[in-house]
Amino acid sequence: MLLGGGNSPGRAIVVNLTLAVVILAFMAPIVWMVTSSLRPNEEIFRYLSPLSVRAILPEEWTLENYRLLFESAFRRALINSLIVAGLTVAIGLILNAMAAYALSVLRFKLRELVFTLVVISFLIPFEGVAIPLSFLARSWDLQNTYAGLVLPGVANGLSIFLLRQFFLSIPVELREAARVDGAGWWTIFWRIYLPLSRPALIGSGLILFMFQWQAYLWPLLIASDSSMDLAPVALGKQLGQFDFEFGQMFAGSVAVSLIPALILFPLRRFLEQTIKSTGGKE
Amino acid sequence: MFGIRRFRPAGGQAVTAILFLVPALLVLVAFRLWPAALSVAGSFQHNGEWVGLDNYIFLFQSDTAVQSLIVTLIYNVIINPVQIAIAFALALLLVDKIVAPSVWRSLLLIPVGIPLAVSSVVWGIAFRPDDGAINAILMALGFPAQPWLTSPDQALLAIMILVSWVGVGYWAFFLTAGLKDIPSSLLEAARIDGATYWQALRYIVIPLMKRPLAFVLVANTVSNFLLFPPIRILTAGGPSGSTNLIMHEVFLNAFTYDDQGLASAEMVILIAVLLLVVSLQFRFLRDR
Repeated sequence: MLLGGGNSPGRAIVVNLTLAVVILAFMAPIVWMVTSSLRPNEEIFRYLSPLSVRAILPEEWTLENYRLLFESAFRRALINSLIVAGLTVAIGLILNAMAAYALSVLRFKLRELVFTLVVISFLIPFEGVAIPLSFLARSWDLQNTYAGLVLPGVANGLSIFLLRQFFLSIPVELREAARVDGAGWWTIFWRIYLPLSRPALIGSGLILFMFQWQAYLWPLLIASDSSMDLAPVALGKQLGQFDFEFGQMFAGSVAVSLIPALILFPLRRFLEQTIKSTGGKE
Repeated sequence: MFGIRRFRPAGGQAVTAILFLVPALLVLVAFRLWPAALSVAGSFQHNGEWVGLDNYIFLFQSDTAVQSLIVTLIYNVIINPVQIAIAFALALLLVDKIVAPSVWRSLLLIPVGIPLAVSSVVWGIAFRPDDGAINAILMALGFPAQPWLTSPDQALLAIMILVSWVGVGYWAFFLTAGLKDIPSSLLEAARIDGATYWQALRYIVIPLMKRPLAFVLVANTVSNFLLFPPIRILTAGGPSGSTNLIMHEVFLNAFTYDDQGLASAEMVILIAVLLLVVSLQFRFLRDR
């Protein structure tokens, strides 16, 4: 895309250079985080004042911070995060796909109205109800349980919306043929719709995963017992303490950031499709 | 088609549909609608007793609560337009003639993939006044070191920098998708007519980008009104309440002061203000 008349090589250089500087500035904190996690603790602040290139270039590379981190309570928090995100994706996909199936394939009165209501109510940001919900969840004995951490994340309006759009694109003839052969609605859902919907399921799964992996407020409210801490909460708590090790802090930050990146990277083309299909430009 | 419909009456599908919908609807009611309703009801109660508007009256007479509302409004009035303007400028760069566009776009998405709590921790260390990386860079460029999170004048600014770092690339990603939908024939025609870059931007691109811009602005506003992790982790609302955004104030009332009624009333006010702002944004971007 090109605006205006400028198509000179000079202009291209300016544009590319500006972009390079901006992106470098954006990447600097990440580079600092990663290299600081890979150097001995006492080196972390040594080269900041006066600033030298050594600030992001360790003299001595070491995995010691990671070793110590995974021996500490943080390991438990990281495992909790994986369990909670995994359960949320597994339960959430089934729940949301079932709802999407009812709202796209099955015929009943008021279907469009129910669909609108479901999506709108799920679009209410979760933070808006998290605090009142936490009083309620305590009365249901959900505090310090995996159920308490997982359940608020399982049903997701965006995920229902995406799956419904995809189900609508599956040819009606397929399910009509299956009906003639005597298949029930559940069989059609499980044997035809789910297997055909892999891209939409991956996109929805990513949404559910990111919701839980990013979660901070809800885990803080519902898990008071530190053995039920999720990784971001555990990291945040540590920063407030006096005797924390910066190296391990950076190592923890890298670990928590790297896991979604490792999951997202191979699946990024599904995410891109997902974001595009929800990008408010339908 | 007709034969099948006669063969399976539509009434049977309603029951099946309900069965398929029940699990999601249960979660929706239990974890969204019911707590929202309780929150509204709870805002008129104190320790389980109905007190009418007492909570609201108390809040509007409380300096802390009023200051928190003002801080939230100041924060949002500044950060939302600034973030969207930067994201839009970035998006314009990303759709220009550049080398390896997909690489740049992927890099810009990295910050939003990092949980906000983690970004808060890393930036918190970078903002340390004595030995932080930000001041190191400032001093290397010849500027004096700044107090950042420890100063009532700068703490909110530091939070804005951190939150913008997280969000700007993400919103730019959405906006590039919108920019790519602009028909190149339009821009081509403008170029032949001798339009400059700024003219093409002002009269073609911006009018056509109103919908994506409105979407991004509203989504950004919602997330900024509900911002919580960096406040809790870095400042606890201080120094002197200068970063006490409403979400954090609600949290304090609910869990530190154990006053659910007050917390509920504050949450209701927050949502009401948010809805008002979002509807104003929609109207504003639609009319012009």
